[in-house]
Amino acid sequence: MKFIDKKDFMGFVSALSADADIFYPKVSADTSDWAKWQTGDKFSLDGHRTILPVKYFFYSPQENLRAKKRRPAIIFGARGCDTRGLELLKKIYLDDPEDPYFRKDILMFTADCTSAHPDCFCSALGERPRAEKDFDLNFSPLGDGYLIEAGSEKGKEILRKNSERLEDASETHKKELLNMRAATEKTVNGQNNGVTLDMQKLKEKIETRNAAFENYGKTCVSCSACTTVCPACFCFFLSEGAENKIRYADSCQLPGYARVAGGGNPKKELISRFMHRFGCKFSWRPSMHNNLGCTGCGRCIAGCQGKINFKEALIAVSKS
Amino acid sequence: MTDPYKTLKAEVIRVTDETSNIKSFLLKPAQKFSFKTGQFVQFTVPGIGEAPFTPSSSHFKKDEIEITIMKAGRVTSKIHELKPKDVIGIRGPLGKGYPLEEFEGKEILILGGGVGMAPLRCLLLSLLEEKDKYGRLLLLYGSKTPGDIVYAGQFADWEKRGAEIYRSVDRCDTGEWKEKKGVVTCLFEGLKLNPDNGVAVVCGPPIMMKFGTMKLLEVGYKPENIYLSMEKNMSCGIGKCGHCACGKYFACKDGPVFKYSVVKDIEGIWD
Repeated sequence: MKFIDKKDFMGFVSALSADADIFYPKVSADTSDWAKWQTGDKFSLDGHRTILPVKYFFYSPQENLRAKKRRPAIIFGARGCDTRGLELLKKIYLDDPEDPYFRKDILMFTADCTSAHPDCFCSALGERPRAEKDFDLNFSPLGDGYLIEAGSEKGKEILRKNSERLEDASETHKKELLNMRAATEKTVNGQNNGVTLDMQKLKEKIETRNAAFENYGKTCVSCSACTTVCPACFCFFLSEGAENKIRYADSCQLPGYARVAGGGNPKKELISRFMHRFGCKFSWRPSMHNNLGCTGCGRCIAGCQGKINFKEALIAVSKS
Repeated sequence: MTDPYKTLKAEVIRVTDETSNIKSFLLKPAQKFSFKTGQFVQFTVPGIGEAPFTPSSSHFKKDEIEITIMKAGRVTSKIHELKPKDVIGIRGPLGKGYPLEEFEGKEILILGGGVGMAPLRCLLLSLLEEKDKYGRLLLLYGSKTPGDIVYAGQFADWEKRGAEIYRSVDRCDTGEWKEKKGVVTCLFEGLKLNPDNGVAVVCGPPIMMKFGTMKLLEVGYKPENIYLSMEKNMSCGIGKCGHCACGKYFACKDGPVFKYSVVKDIEGIWD
């Protein structure tokens, strides 16, 4: 494990920008969202998840499916919820036959959360507020610098090339790391009242129509904000462009999602679409892809126009 | 890496009017095209859109494929405007077809309704090609009126080649109809079947599939011996876009042919 002092951090970013486009969480007001790094930009990896997940770096919400020339990218500051969502997306998009337009030239430089958005509930799913795998480098923010762990050969190579900016992690750093991680876990746990859902029980409950769905689905307006901001939602619609196929992000919450020619629609009722999302995330993807379709990031709660608290809905379903 | 979204060009060779709103399109792909009976293709009208269809021609034919299409929406309306020499795209083959090896030595009952006869014709032709491998072959086919029967001129030939054929129409307002009247399940009346060593294959409108399946269960077919072709909104065709979700399955990749035993508890399968 290596340590980089915060005063050397932007120099490190600048050096990497020679070979790749750099993206980082840009803070504005009390939140943050992705921005492309320009010379002179300064940023910190403290804090928690961005408004949008990282998925749209890997495929665009609206994309002409043709070969593209672009520089590789490095994403700084993706969180554990981002990598867990990406794990499912990779299982879908890179499964045979592989989607050639899903980007594979992006390095993930994740960061431990040092705070939590009020809607974060990863702990309720038994997850931790940090990336435990699927990163090239992981940054753990400490007071005056970052502890860096390499998770891939490419990550290790970057650490080797930048060794003059790095020092070996000390015992004090490692102690600080444990304290920082414990403090963030306590924050997330605290705002979720220590709830940990029994995922097996939840899976069974979710497969049947449940009064809790009817109750929580009442204010859904089928706007699709929840799927748009979800790091694990993967649906798209393939359309014809003038020369190539065009792919549009799509949502199971929209009325036309499952409609077939002639007008048949198994998801005509709003409640069936509302339930579809839970079924997909907590039953079908675990069954078929061995992966939850939810990361506990709470972006859907923050984005919901009907003020539906999906975490509370999950708890209600599991208790029913 | 091959691009699974790329289409193969195919020329329209012949257009056949089957009924007032159903046409068959004989296509010549730019290269040999192999598929298994029951698999489907995405039919691309350049610049307009794609729609999924199971070919209706035998899978033993590799140079040309025929696809039978009902005018039902935006893309199919454009397809119906196609003429010989027009060039379209096909993408596939996609999905899993009928497991013909599981049918060997068994009595095969094919239950079709309306344009659902299209994929069943492919199956029937493929089975007739190797008739000796299979047991008794029955086709029960229902349509709304005599005018709605697809492949009207071909039944006699199939019969000659060894298929037992029973047909019904819901109603006959004009002309003459000497066969049965009623919904397709009326064809089971008085029919001696061997469900213990038989399989049934169903394709048609959802309501017909539902009652057809119920009838098959009633006469003794086991859920694992009933094969359904599920119509879902297939967009990518390769298990990525999510539209054709059928419970935990993607109909495009895990189907479109499913055993009834596999999908029977999924909510809304007949919708």
